[in-house]
Amino acid sequence: MSPARATHPHPQPARAAGERCDVLVVGGGHAGVEAALAAARLGARVILVTMRADRIGEMSCNPAIGGLGKGQLVREIDALGGLMARAADATGIQFKVLGASKGIAAQGPRCQSDRHLYREFVTQHLRSAPGVEVLESTVDGLLVDGTDGVTRVCGARLGDGAELRAGAVVITTGTFLAAVMHTGEERSSGGRVGESTSRGISADLARLGLQVGRLKTGTPPRLQRDSIEWSALDAQPGDARPQPFSFATSRANFPALPQIQCFITWTQPATHELIRANIHRAPMYAGRIQGVGPRYCPSVEDKVMRFADRDRHQVFLEPESLSTDVVYVNGVSTSLPADVQESFVHTIPGLERARFLRHGYAVEYDFVFPAQLDRSFAARAVAGLYLAGQINGTSGYEEAAAQGLIAGANAALWLRGDDAFVLARDEAYIGVLADDLVVSQPTEPYRMFTSRAEHRLLLRSDNADRRLTPRAAELGLAASDALERLRAREARLASALRVLESTRPAAYDGKTLRDVLRRPEVDVAWLEQRHAEVAALGLELDERAALEADVKYAGYVEREHEQVARMRRQETTEIPADFRFEGLSGLAAEAAAKLRQIRPRTLGAAARIAGVRPPDVALLAVYVERFKRARTS
Amino acid sequence: MDVEARTASGADGAARERAAQTIVAIASPPGPAERGILRLSGPGARAVALALVRGAPQLELSARGVHPARLFDGVGEQPGWVVWMPGPRSYTGEDVAELHGPGAPPLVAALLRRALELGARLAGPGEFTRRAFENGRIDLTRAEGVLELVSAANERERRAATALLSGGLERHVSTLRDLLLDLRVLCEASLDFDEADTGHVPREQLEALALAAREALADTLSFERRRVRSNVRPRAVLIGAPNAGKSTLFNALTGGRALVSPLPGATRDVLRAAARAGEFEFELVDTAGLDERLALADREHPDLQAQQLASAEAAGADLLVAVVSAVEGSASCAELLERRRAHPRTPVVLAWTQVDRPGAPPAPAAPLLAELGASAWVALCAPRAQGVSALLDACRAALEAEPPSEGAARVEVSARHLEALNASREALEEALGGLRAGAPLDLLAQTFRQALDALDAIAGRSSPEDVLERLFARFCIGK
Repeated sequence: MSPARATHPHPQPARAAGERCDVLVVGGGHAGVEAALAAARLGARVILVTMRADRIGEMSCNPAIGGLGKGQLVREIDALGGLMARAADATGIQFKVLGASKGIAAQGPRCQSDRHLYREFVTQHLRSAPGVEVLESTVDGLLVDGTDGVTRVCGARLGDGAELRAGAVVITTGTFLAAVMHTGEERSSGGRVGESTSRGISADLARLGLQVGRLKTGTPPRLQRDSIEWSALDAQPGDARPQPFSFATSRANFPALPQIQCFITWTQPATHELIRANIHRAPMYAGRIQGVGPRYCPSVEDKVMRFADRDRHQVFLEPESLSTDVVYVNGVSTSLPADVQESFVHTIPGLERARFLRHGYAVEYDFVFPAQLDRSFAARAVAGLYLAGQINGTSGYEEAAAQGLIAGANAALWLRGDDAFVLARDEAYIGVLADDLVVSQPTEPYRMFTSRAEHRLLLRSDNADRRLTPRAAELGLAASDALERLRAREARLASALRVLESTRPAAYDGKTLRDVLRRPEVDVAWLEQRHAEVAALGLELDERAALEADVKYAGYVEREHEQVARMRRQETTEIPADFRFEGLSGLAAEAAAKLRQIRPRTLGAAARIAGVRPPDVALLAVYVERFKRARTS
Repeated sequence: MDVEARTASGADGAARERAAQTIVAIASPPGPAERGILRLSGPGARAVALALVRGAPQLELSARGVHPARLFDGVGEQPGWVVWMPGPRSYTGEDVAELHGPGAPPLVAALLRRALELGARLAGPGEFTRRAFENGRIDLTRAEGVLELVSAANERERRAATALLSGGLERHVSTLRDLLLDLRVLCEASLDFDEADTGHVPREQLEALALAAREALADTLSFERRRVRSNVRPRAVLIGAPNAGKSTLFNALTGGRALVSPLPGATRDVLRAAARAGEFEFELVDTAGLDERLALADREHPDLQAQQLASAEAAGADLLVAVVSAVEGSASCAELLERRRAHPRTPVVLAWTQVDRPGAPPAPAAPLLAELGASAWVALCAPRAQGVSALLDACRAALEAEPPSEGAARVEVSARHLEALNASREALEEALGGLRAGAPLDLLAQTFRQALDALDAIAGRSSPEDVLERLFARFCIGK
């Protein structure tokens, strides 16, 4: 499956004198860090500007990486040479594969990291990366050049008034644009507790013609470790055999840190009553129950109101660090007033006398409607401008990091005059993310889910390196030793498969172990317990998964590939850039409006826009074909 | 468009633009007909229709419906009607106007020419139906129904097409689709949650839903098979005066159990059963007796409804079996002959019944045979089964003599439906087996999706563009 050549929305620019760097990255969060590193790996000179150099790689919310749908993203970031997986491995204090019972393609590795060590690891790595300079400053606005007919962003104006000129600018400001924090009726300005907000950038983005909206997200309270009655609660240990994220992490020294336990408790009817009684005081609570399904339930207010029939919800108590006594209360993200938070938390078993170190809060911030970007995260209407992370209406470190990596890489490729690097929906969760975002109209932050990836059987966490590393190595995004590791891993898997195919224990009347493994109730661990040949292979967890997938999922995977080939025919039917979406008769009014606004570049993308129905796509196909014919004749 | 038109005033330009998006075609059958029909659809349908009418200021087309008008082709005038159906509640979902005039082909052609001069565009094959599909007015199965209807070679095919057109398959498919969609959504949503979490879906719930889907799929398959079979098996319809012995004959021919009564008018429902002559199988239909007295009766009278049913059956027949009592002879045949004349091309076999009654002539008179246009006659004495096999053979001979219909469109359409339904069933069965064997949820989700995708090919939801093009290219212009 060779990917189609991807183009940038703007031609390679002429470079101006006086540029301080090739790529300027604004923001030092998960998106900014990956953007800077990816651009630098492709040879760009990078400056990363951040308001707080001591907050680089900060985990603003849950100190955890990965999970369902997200663990796959982390593996993909790793396969593309990104940092997130290695940082998580080096700082993880609990590792656990989620979704294991739902199938190999549903598995999402997750870890909890020591948030301080994570930040230190990332900061150190960034500061020592060749080609990256870190600059601590605010950014008050964007430098715009409009002389050659196309508006182009060519740098930033810093807090001290200095102008920093660059070839391209990647904005990764997270929730910091015009940010307001809410705790009940209380409001304060800022994108994170104790930090300020950034105002000039969103005004400049609006001035450039980009449509900007508001989103909200929230975070739960933090409690003091020794105020919790731990003995009353069930422990949630990590996996007995922890598995690292990165294909590069050596098993010899893993896990590097002592491992901790989390604990689980449950909300009570009294908790729910308190929340219901105070729901009018929750700014996060939207107040409307829409048919969006159970997947979007970020705050405990929402959970209680939407699932009125449930009398309890899970609450995970997760220590944030080995060196502090802060406990993250996963599952009760809330924006209720501080007094209500304390009352309802105290109704939860084990938390009756819990002391609050920090209350939960909601943060409201500016985002840019991502339909104005292409899949390389370049602004379509403005040259030299890339946006990545929460500014695009997403949620989550992994989603942010993935966007940052793609945006940073493409900024560098654009300046170099090389093809764009975009991934398709059948190649990576990152492709799903990009593809979804550029046609979406977010009304709540976009989070990755396994269910978003229709080709999930191909996009497993165990095969991210097989899918992506060869391309990444070719581009220069992944180091050459990644390719060697991939070959070694492939060889191990191939020899394991040979062992399975050549072993015919007498007990299975002529069947090979490979045949036996195809049975639903059998997995590699089962074989290891019974057959010394298999145990002797010494397979790592992700190698077991890969082997199981190769054997058990073979038929499905093949079918999926056929499906992909079929879809690609429609998917890749390009809609020419100069195609006029205006004045197409016969389209439903809603479809016509959405198409005019979003201007999809392929029929496949058009088909995925909410409100565009199959007859609209069929008709659009006719118009596109007619347009192409008229142009060639 | 010429330069002059381009530089016309804005309002005029807009009117031309609207006219250009308007399609026109002759919608009446080719050759002489009772009425000539010109159909217009699109944003300019109203303006073009008004320009084709004399005394336009009086005619405003403000209300949906039929408006008497004088049709004007630029040269001559004819009396007629304008049928105005404003969008979106029209066949195509756009404004539709039909001009109904005298059936003379040159007059209709003159109106068409004038409409084209006024800026409307000649409709491509199937373009009206295509617009209806694209505007969401009909789904693909209905569009296919139209295709079958216009290309139906005989009444038999017309019947099957009508079943498709009236949404029979669409209704079945949409019930099934809802179930499969639920399954897929539940599976996929469950992938996003750990076992103890809010969105986890227990397997038992999935299995119950899958069993319901299996049932709905079996229903749909059998509906479609019935539809196709009714298509394939020729149909003979018994017609005759009340109490001519049709039901007795029906029972003798089919081994069925139609209620037999010495009182006239006992058969009110339409009965159907398979009849066989050797290997040859055909469908035999028994209808209410023809009764002239009912013609004037109350419209709600059940006998009148039975008569209408009988009439519809006769219209769809491949063979009419005229049942005449030897006792009554041609004296009872006025209604029968009239019905026969309504279907002049349908072959007829005469069943000359009740020959065992006293005084009954053993053979029909030659004038009756000639008037019926019967290709054969058989004398019967039904209670003793005399002549029954001779009548079956005569029916077979007559049905086999009828040239086989082409029905290529129907075969193609049905084959596509059955293929899709079978593919969907295979996937659903695989998923059910997997559910019970403990297959992982990610595989199940994919298999349910496959069942859904296969089904969606029927309604055109996942139909590739080339299928659509091929399909719509088959339509007659004007439909």
